[in-house]
Amino acid sequence: MAASIADSLRFEPCEFPASLVELRREVREFLRQELGSYSVVKRSQSWEAYDAEFSAKLGAKGWIGMTLPTAYGGHGRSAFERYVVVEECLVAGAPTAFHWVADRQSGPLIVRYATEAQKQEIIPKITAGKACFAIGMSEPNSGSDLASLRSRAERTDNGWLVNGTKIWTSNAHRADYMIALFRTDSDPDKKHAALSQFVIDLSQVKGITPRPIQNLAGGRNFNEVSFVDVELPPEALIGTEGEGWKQVTEELAYERSGPERYLSCFFLLRQLVDAIKDTASAATLARLGGQIAWATTLRNMSLSIAAKLHAGEDPLLAAAVVKDLGCQFEQGLPGLAQELCELEPTLEGCGTDYQQVLGSLVQLAPSFSLRGGTPEIMHGIIAKGMGIR
Amino acid sequence: MNEMRSILEESVNRLFADELDWDALTRIEQQGWPASLWEQVCAQGIDRVLASEAAGGMAGSWGDVYPLLRACGRYAVPLPIAEANLCHWLARQAHAELPAGVPGLVSQEVFVDSTHVTVTDARVPWGSQAQTLVVVHAGELLITATSGLEITREDNIGRDPRDHVSGRAEILSRSPLAVPADTVHLLGALIRSAQIAGGAAAALDLAVQYASEREQFGRPLSKFQAIQHHLADLAGLVASADAIVMSACEVFDQRGIAGAGRDARFEIAVAKCRTSEAVEKITRLSHQIHGAIGFTYEYGLHFVSRRLWAWRAEFGGSSEWGEYLGRAAVEQGGDGLWPLITD
Repeated sequence: MAASIADSLRFEPCEFPASLVELRREVREFLRQELGSYSVVKRSQSWEAYDAEFSAKLGAKGWIGMTLPTAYGGHGRSAFERYVVVEECLVAGAPTAFHWVADRQSGPLIVRYATEAQKQEIIPKITAGKACFAIGMSEPNSGSDLASLRSRAERTDNGWLVNGTKIWTSNAHRADYMIALFRTDSDPDKKHAALSQFVIDLSQVKGITPRPIQNLAGGRNFNEVSFVDVELPPEALIGTEGEGWKQVTEELAYERSGPERYLSCFFLLRQLVDAIKDTASAATLARLGGQIAWATTLRNMSLSIAAKLHAGEDPLLAAAVVKDLGCQFEQGLPGLAQELCELEPTLEGCGTDYQQVLGSLVQLAPSFSLRGGTPEIMHGIIAKGMGIR
Repeated sequence: MNEMRSILEESVNRLFADELDWDALTRIEQQGWPASLWEQVCAQGIDRVLASEAAGGMAGSWGDVYPLLRACGRYAVPLPIAEANLCHWLARQAHAELPAGVPGLVSQEVFVDSTHVTVTDARVPWGSQAQTLVVVHAGELLITATSGLEITREDNIGRDPRDHVSGRAEILSRSPLAVPADTVHLLGALIRSAQIAGGAAAALDLAVQYASEREQFGRPLSKFQAIQHHLADLAGLVASADAIVMSACEVFDQRGIAGAGRDARFEIAVAKCRTSEAVEKITRLSHQIHGAIGFTYEYGLHFVSRRLWAWRAEFGGSSEWGEYLGRAAVEQGGDGLWPLITD
């Protein structure tokens, strides 16, 4: 019999260590006390909602950069402990955008590739919840085909000279640092191998101009960022010149399999339960239960990947599967809520809590299948993993 | 995966692959009960992985038996292996002895007096082959004879027997068994979920193989993006079905279904709800990728498709289990929804 694709794509169950029950309880209690004063709309946006004060408080609890080494102000805790904090923040609707990128990928990247001086300087700020990172990846002409990007960093006597434009860069207008991918070699035959990653201290350089782009809901999180003759010091290059693509790809399994890939609308699901609990028919309960079954399944799969990552594997294919399924699930929730509960979506401050949360998330939902790689790109990765592409 | 599991998985996959190709499945559908294959299965102890060692079993856990149940789905195995294992597990819990022969699993309500169990139109898998009935009733495991029962044959659309059984069955043994009244229904849902996960795996593997071999417009179907999207979608559904059933089996082993507070009932409901719902899209995609050939009897995709359509309804479908989960959610309220999933 031919090799089985089904057997090559398995998600072994992973049970949380029992010792994490106490941490989970502690995080829940902290969030219950902290979040009561936030509007439901802000809470519904969770990892898209920017709040420096909240992030500093979470940092003070030791819950940012948890897995980073203690030598640099990290906490040396396990990937599972971090996972507990992250998922509890998401379902509680904690505004985590300020530290989200730093905690998820920039901190680990810096620990892995940056100079000793950079680690000493930056990591303590990340773990304190006082450093906001932006990621400069997409460009106006390079979206899904990221490796076609054209922004250039050229070597000079003093370091690097950068020119170009990034787009969809979340929080670039208020971030402390940006980690960006630039072309460092003009050889047209080297599409992927000509890219390098840079860490930019935005308070120290001139020539970077973010222009906020309003999203369809009126929010101003992301930006078009122009780089005009930006001078960077030599040590801004992070990792190895020409290996930027490889370095970026290494982070993708983390980026795509995390709980944020299926929990973006969980706050709405919570509100929906309360909105329909007294009137729901058996058919409505069945639809609701179907979503709970999906959420539980996706959580198991996401955790299974966390265990693989913890064990040093690189489950890129499995992560693409979770991203794809998680996106279908979370993107479908506003429409399902609208079907199960005949209340119209409202703007902030109007209608019930449920209506405001629905109004917020139904407008954000189109972005779920764009950020972090589209389903079309995920399908391509899965097809490749199955050996048919 | 531990060693026992991989050895079991390898040996059952080899047995089924050897004995149950499409010609064999066709023959069995025409000729009925494959007695010699059943004997082979029993000789290898595959019918009693969950039985106690005293009963000739492996005293396996549900995590141990999952690879076997999945293989039963994958190879469209036309034998009551899953049901027999469930019966043996019940006997093991009750310290009861299950006589040799095919056990008939009864999941419907029955009436019990001092000497007989009265069944009224119970749907018993392979009931016409059964030498005993296995019944959970009011805190007891009852094992009965089948002589004198009125049995009417009926197959499900997978053409596996789901016979109608009525009459008074003489009790051979009764043993106290402290399990919830709906244990057979719950574990029935678990075994069908596992079989669905297996059938789904077969549907994916066949679709990938067919799409790689079949050429149109001068290239294999698998090189068309439209087909790649179908296959990627299918792979995700198949992987998620496998993941949730594996997990439900593990949780059952850890928590059971008779404990106070949170037990494995939630995970089993999730597993059957998800797998039953996924059948629609899994079969639709695998058939679409196959085109007309998949709609023929000659090409064997239908051996799993028809069983997937049958299994999704047996022991409760996505509506029944979804309603159970939805009710649990509204009882907890919005704030209790997440703890329902995690705690």
